Amino acid sequence: MTGFSRRRFLGTAAAAGASAAATTAPAVSAHPPGWHGGERVLKVATHCEMCFWRCGVLASVSEGKVVRLEGNPDHPLTQGRLCARGNAGTGLLYDPDRLKFPLLRTGKRGEGQFKRATWDEALDFLALKLDAIKKEHGPEAVAFFPHGIGSRFFGTLMKAYGTPNSAEPSFAQCRGPRDVGYSLTFGQGLGSPEPVDLEESKLIVLIGSHLGENVFTSQITAFATGLSRGAKLIAVDPRFSTAAAKADWWLPIRPGTDIALLLAWMNVLIAERLYDQPYVAKNAQGFEQLAAHVRDFTPEWAETITELPAAQIRETARAMGQAKPAVVVHPGRHVTWYGDDTQRARAMAILTALLGSWGRKGGIFLPTPLAPGGIELPDFPESERGRADGAGGRFPLASEELGVTNGLVDATLSGDPYPIKAWIVYGQNVIESIPQPKRTLEAIEKLDLMVVVDVLPVDQIDYADVVLPEATYLERYDSPLFVGSAKRPFVAIRQPVIEPLYESKPGWWIAKQLAKRLGLEGFFPWDTPDQHLAALVEPLGINTLELHNRGAIAFPGRPYIEDRSPDDEPLFNTTSGKIQLFSKELKDLGADPLPRYTNVTDPPKGFLRLIYGRAPVHSFARTENNEALHALMPENEAWIHTRTAAELQVHDGDRVPFENDEGARSLPVRVKVTEGIRRDCVYLVHGFGQRSKGLRRASGKGASDTSLMSRVKVDPLMGGTGMRVNFVRPVKA
Amino acid sequence: MSRYAMVTDLRKCVGCEACTVACNAEWSVPAGFARTHVRKTEIAGTFPNLTSGIHVAQCNQCDRPPCAEACPSGATSQGADGIVRVDKDLCIGCAFCVAACPYDARYINPATKKVDKCDFCLPRIARGEQPVCVTTCTAHAKYFGDLEDRGSEVFRLVYAEGARRIETASVAVGPNVYYLGKPESLALVATSFPPRAPRLPAAGEAWRMAVRPLVMLAVGATFLGQAVAFFTQLAKGENDFED
Repeated sequence: MTGFSRRRFLGTAAAAGASAAATTAPAVSAHPPGWHGGERVLKVATHCEMCFWRCGVLASVSEGKVVRLEGNPDHPLTQGRLCARGNAGTGLLYDPDRLKFPLLRTGKRGEGQFKRATWDEALDFLALKLDAIKKEHGPEAVAFFPHGIGSRFFGTLMKAYGTPNSAEPSFAQCRGPRDVGYSLTFGQGLGSPEPVDLEESKLIVLIGSHLGENVFTSQITAFATGLSRGAKLIAVDPRFSTAAAKADWWLPIRPGTDIALLLAWMNVLIAERLYDQPYVAKNAQGFEQLAAHVRDFTPEWAETITELPAAQIRETARAMGQAKPAVVVHPGRHVTWYGDDTQRARAMAILTALLGSWGRKGGIFLPTPLAPGGIELPDFPESERGRADGAGGRFPLASEELGVTNGLVDATLSGDPYPIKAWIVYGQNVIESIPQPKRTLEAIEKLDLMVVVDVLPVDQIDYADVVLPEATYLERYDSPLFVGSAKRPFVAIRQPVIEPLYESKPGWWIAKQLAKRLGLEGFFPWDTPDQHLAALVEPLGINTLELHNRGAIAFPGRPYIEDRSPDDEPLFNTTSGKIQLFSKELKDLGADPLPRYTNVTDPPKGFLRLIYGRAPVHSFARTENNEALHALMPENEAWIHTRTAAELQVHDGDRVPFENDEGARSLPVRVKVTEGIRRDCVYLVHGFGQRSKGLRRASGKGASDTSLMSRVKVDPLMGGTGMRVNFVRPVKA
Repeated sequence: MSRYAMVTDLRKCVGCEACTVACNAEWSVPAGFARTHVRKTEIAGTFPNLTSGIHVAQCNQCDRPPCAEACPSGATSQGADGIVRVDKDLCIGCAFCVAACPYDARYINPATKKVDKCDFCLPRIARGEQPVCVTTCTAHAKYFGDLEDRGSEVFRLVYAEGARRIETASVAVGPNVYYLGKPESLALVATSFPPRAPRLPAAGEAWRMAVRPLVMLAVGATFLGQAVAFFTQLAKGENDFED
């Protein structure tokens, strides 16, 4: 038992408190000291990065060691709650497989042979290479693949260097189509966390969203609260998900036909005058065109396409009409499925508009933007050649802020519109997050320089020339968070709880050091990240010491239409100032101005459609090596329907690889035979089947869904990769 | 007097396992073991008419705990508050209690070789806090309180909402962990994870009579050793007993 000395304890607290205001050393919170077992501990507020949701954490620190993470009760979003991953964050901090030192490649690319380097050696080498590439090929030849708020300082560096080519998978492999579709309709996207008023809702509609298996703490709290207050639930999913098991209506839809279902729902709402007539009359344009468009899309028409009974389609539409406007048609997150995803998002947005749910209690609530203060920077250089990823060009509606990852892969492979010579990958696993991994690796082979900045030896590490070990979220400052899309908007801090372990360094330090070597120091006009923090948050009237102490500062929100003030942005920031049921923008682009169902291709005989999702204890391909989480779920399973399994002669518990109809093959995975999935599908949880040998727990366990995605269907509007278009079968021994 | 109880609302629970990980972290439970764990039932029925359920298991703090009966050393006992506790100093790691528990709620910690299990976070309760599974639960699905307190939420959930316990006609030892759920889902959970008949050591009483004095003796010796160390330290003038 560790003896506890008050004198020693107070000494530590005072020293840490003094440093919080002025230096980069670990800060301390005003949260009272607590207990861990029989031990007295300091508690420091920060926020979690086991996923991207922005949950508040209190870290218990004892003698320089983080002994426990728990929810921060003061945090406006999560109020003390934390999911399994959040509770397991110390497993990342103390993962023995962490990247510990900068590494420089010695062997051939892909062999994973490195020598240990000092930071000076690694950064000098990198700066030389970047200068040479700029001279020879122009700054645009460097592509940046960031993920998460930790990457923002590096993002500034890339812009200062002169490349516009930055792309994160959160757009073209995730929520891009959603935000484009809702922007076209309502004049703004949804952002993250998405503002769904689940706790006040009377009816929740999930289109493929598997809340419960997809866990974001505050969203689960709101979901469970809504259900316990009597909200009804419609779950549209080919699989009997956790949400489907809680649902009043489970609609096991034929994959890829959601637009037909959505059109049929609109048909019923309009034909039976169940839509919110005053709201639509006041706020929307294009209703007549919409009504004419959906007139023939009856539930009977949809039944033949979706394989859902017309009576059930009608019944669920009526339930929506009854519950309106307190209906959440959940816009989803990962929605790059079939290549028509922007149009499906449009259909969901139009349904939301018909129900009068946008800006209404129990529907989609309105964000309350918080404007950060500014730091004066030199002008970023203008790129003469423009972007290489197609954002704003061949993908006219793609976000230029988030970019199109697969567009950068394409450009690297083809050299069109110009050669890409270097990738800097920051905090993401490009082999697992971007489909068609074979192409991704081929692109990497063509590079002059491949840089990986990460905490763990992720899959692409073996292909890196330079590996820079980043400090974890518990050891670093990140740029402060401004979260407007919460009912109580808030500013939150990520601050170091302890000093970085090994030779790892925070992202801000790496970016600043590299900037110094590239002659770009002017873009980092601060000495320590808390000075940068102060410049951003103080204009909002926030005391930085209080922010360090409490972790987050909340502001009053204006979530519903009736709360809005005249100073707010227009309610519908569209060209017409109204909800665009009919999209003139899409018409001008030669696309369907009203969503239309297009035929989906069924799997060839003997093959099944590959669908995939998440598990509550894992995030992407980031947490599978975590000791506590790995113990709960070391591998995934392949869900196959009972009768399909009998036809394909596989049995529950068999361990078989899967292959797709183009020959791509996965590692072996255990088969789960169940009634809980349609006969034409197979389901895998994403994130498994990683091959990096450096991840000693996770390596080789389960099957990677991405490894079976040799095919994508690209959304022509925004470049998103439809990933549910691959057909697979088990390979018997 | 208190009678502590836990109610889990399985209509809200999504099976996220935050409780398991938080509990493991709070009480330094080694990976692969748990004081509280979450299990899903198989999906029952025929497509598309299906049911499934989630079971959140922990020590039931039974009114008539078979574990205490099986314990030969007196390490496992029941407090006046109904909570079954383990005195680690008395535990000899024989695992008889593990076999006796109808709810599979106990494990032998491989590091300490002692038995461990949920005690409703006794030290937290003593500080006026809630058990850690309750405070972290993302779905706000867990309720902890005193069934003797008629104003408590658990009292309402048990006596007004009809939260039920998982027991069978043959294994009815008075569990104090209750569940709310959709009837068909709760029935599936109860049949999927039924309590099993306690396996008590065959010659239980005789064994106990023989072992208990030995254990007390062993503990006495340990205490004596500590006392000697204490006085030795005092004599050397080292004092690590600041408040």
